[in-house]
Amino acid sequence: MNEERLKEAGIIALEAGLRQGVHAEVYLMASRQLSIEVADNVVETLKESDETGLGIRLINGDKLGFAYTSDLSAQAILDAVDDAYHITTYTYADKYNILPPGLYEYQTMELYDKEIKTTPVEAKIELARQAEKAAREADNRITIIERAGYEDAEYISLIMNTNGMYASGQGNFSGVYIYLAAEEKGDAQTGFAMHMSKWFKDLKPQEVGREAAVRATRSLNARSISSAILPCIMEPYVVTQFLSILSRMVNAEAVQKGKSLLAGKLGQKVASACVTLVDDATRIDGTGSFPFDGEGVPTRCNQVIAKGILQNYLYDTYTAAKDGVSSTGNAQRGSFRSLPTVGTSNFMVLPGNNSTEALIADIGKGFYITEVMGMHTVNPVSGDFSVGAAGIMIENGGLTFPVHGVTIAGNIVDFLQNIDAVGSEMRFYGSKAAPSIRLKSLSIGGE
Amino acid sequence: MLDKNVFSKVLDEALKRGGDFAEIYVEEKTISNIYFDDNKIESINSGREKGAGIRVIKDGSTAYVYTNDLSTESLLDAASAANHAAGSRKTINRPEIALNLKSIDDQLNLHPGQLSFADKIEHILSANKIARDYSKEIRQVTITLGDVRKNVQIANSDGELVEDERSRVRMTVNTVAAQGNVVQTGYESAGEIGGWELLQKVSLDDMALKAASLAVNMLTAQPAPAGKMSVVMSSTAGGTLVHEACGHGLEADLVQKGLSIYKDNRGRKVAAPGVNIIDDATIEGQYGSYKFDDEGIRAQRKVLIENGELRGYMYDRLTAKKDGTESTGNGRRESYQHKPIPRMSNTLIGPGSEEPELIIKSTAHGLLVKKMGGGQVNTTNGDFVFEVQEAYLIENGEITAPVKGAILTGNGPEVLKNIDSIGNDLGFGIGTCGKDGQGVAVGDAQPTIRIKQLTVGGTMMADGPRIKRIRRK
Repeated sequence: MNEERLKEAGIIALEAGLRQGVHAEVYLMASRQLSIEVADNVVETLKESDETGLGIRLINGDKLGFAYTSDLSAQAILDAVDDAYHITTYTYADKYNILPPGLYEYQTMELYDKEIKTTPVEAKIELARQAEKAAREADNRITIIERAGYEDAEYISLIMNTNGMYASGQGNFSGVYIYLAAEEKGDAQTGFAMHMSKWFKDLKPQEVGREAAVRATRSLNARSISSAILPCIMEPYVVTQFLSILSRMVNAEAVQKGKSLLAGKLGQKVASACVTLVDDATRIDGTGSFPFDGEGVPTRCNQVIAKGILQNYLYDTYTAAKDGVSSTGNAQRGSFRSLPTVGTSNFMVLPGNNSTEALIADIGKGFYITEVMGMHTVNPVSGDFSVGAAGIMIENGGLTFPVHGVTIAGNIVDFLQNIDAVGSEMRFYGSKAAPSIRLKSLSIGGE
Repeated sequence: MLDKNVFSKVLDEALKRGGDFAEIYVEEKTISNIYFDDNKIESINSGREKGAGIRVIKDGSTAYVYTNDLSTESLLDAASAANHAAGSRKTINRPEIALNLKSIDDQLNLHPGQLSFADKIEHILSANKIARDYSKEIRQVTITLGDVRKNVQIANSDGELVEDERSRVRMTVNTVAAQGNVVQTGYESAGEIGGWELLQKVSLDDMALKAASLAVNMLTAQPAPAGKMSVVMSSTAGGTLVHEACGHGLEADLVQKGLSIYKDNRGRKVAAPGVNIIDDATIEGQYGSYKFDDEGIRAQRKVLIENGELRGYMYDRLTAKKDGTESTGNGRRESYQHKPIPRMSNTLIGPGSEEPELIIKSTAHGLLVKKMGGGQVNTTNGDFVFEVQEAYLIENGEITAPVKGAILTGNGPEVLKNIDSIGNDLGFGIGTCGKDGQGVAVGDAQPTIRIKQLTVGGTMMADGPRIKRIRRK
């Protein structure tokens, strides 16, 4: 599926919208994906996909309608436009329902790596096998490889609207991951590692395998501890899971609806001074990079929290119109199947200048958190969290025994204020990135 | 939908250069969702989608190719790609595949009731008013109504052809209540296979009232205690526990990979006497029910644990073949974009003989859980964590104060051995279960049960310092 073919379909949709006398926007997407799963050196699943579709958004006298179709034949597109129009007769008028103005300048971003396309499947299978081999060689307690995988995807997306907008872009990425388990003396622990990259040549399957092996083996024969309030260090992966909660709290839609604890706090100190949080789609190295957002608005680097001070919420065109500000380029689309909503692109806690070792060194007794369970249960409205955790005990400035079966609890507001140091190495997990962080104290529930 | 002859051609192409099994799954789907929030219709989403997934299995390896272009040419391309990806190289001659339509004795016959957008909106507006009128503390009400209709065709190289019409509806109510600095939420959901006749059985107004009263009641709840204690789980809690803490470990793919605590345990005692765990896709109307699974196998009722003893696992075709057994009709997929894997349907702990009230009465001190939230489980070692939405203290056999913020942590297999009372009631819950990136509709159920001892994590320490409650300006 090429851009021309998508454009033809888009024109059919917009012309049908114009005939109905409404404002219209069409989002078109074509993607191809490959995923390979290897276990015990054998290809367990190889999956290829090819997908196209469009989502049509109509604004009929301030009323919004949306429909999608995966069939780009002229008749299916006209049916979708009819469905969307029909829906506008039931939705409520809202003067902030507007489409972005048409003509923008977009920056050129190099998001397409030809090597992903030209590399044969056999070589990609080999990358997954290398991850498995490295994991097995790293430690003989690695007894189960649930799955070592390779994935790549390429996509073209195109947005046109009746204000004259024409935005098109393409990108691709690849990644290697592994899920495994280590066993010793009747105990079993899982380990996971992944590495996604814009550039095929940067993939490091052996490192992925070794990292997962370390994650599994270091948790073996973990035990619970007594309830206590302790200083804690969170690994980057754990921090990115907290970022998912934060991303919902800086979302202008949640703020406007009174569903965020950060409502009304612009300019206030909401976090410790060592915390700087940005959302930046213009960085090349994240999977959330793109020159325009889900409504065709150019993306930019947004400071959300700078040295602890709340600077900005993230906006799409609708929420921006409501607050009388400009969109921050944060309209996101999961696929052509849904309306754009406010969301993050590359959402990052910027690194500080402490190595992880230095963060641990001055802790007499503390908890090094490597895993949290049940983050999706955290209440983003109240900010209260109480989640399962596992990790390693810190004693006299060093890591000692593994711990599991405990809970960590508190509130996001205290959590942000409680961060007293930030590590120097930021890591990406998908489109979220963070370094390790240290918390002055956290409530740990154990035996 | 597609013609039988097209399927034959595609399956022939898919096995042209060898392979043990080929299958094509075709799906045409229409969806409609209404999302109501903040006193207005936030969005209505309507969509049509179709696509096909072609699978070739060779020596236990799976190649899967999908496309949403259903032209014969595109399907033949996809079949050829799948055959090639399966590692097949040499063209072989094989007899043409003759397809036979599996007959359907319409046990779960669907005549899904339709509802216009106008009617749906009328129900929503009424429920919204009821929730907001319940108390001035209700700050937000979110209501969703969604329906999915699917026409599915499945054909495979064993000559089986299945055509199936599926319909599922679901509605949810979320409420937010606030008083001073304290914010609490309430949640109710209902769903079934079928259509909007659901509204004749379950009133959206009642759901709104329940969700509103839950959020408001929890405002004045005290923080949950922490520590080890007896936990009585009411049948109204649904079966999240059995689904997460036990069900996943009985899915054959996880067992075969050695990732389940239940591997090599068939015939052994894995739960307390009297505990029966069943996965049943044949319960009429239930959210996780179906006529055929997504590999075209008839839905079944499968006893997994009988009187505490492990009887068997849940299989799809591939894992069944590996174990030299038959599929249990648990091969499910989210859509044509996914290969089928072993999944639960409606999973339940079977009812016992005790009166629920007497179970509470005989508990000296503990926690009564009336409503569960989300959860997560590590199937390798059985460790789980669950959020609790609604809970009360039990003191000297009496239900006393409501408590909030409780979470349950523990180990699935240990909990099953620790069940010391099983009630004679049964309560169902619905959900979307995620596994390997695929979401499927499931139901779960349990009677009122008592777990002798479970770790409750709360925001208050049992014998430590109280954690400062958060003050917000």
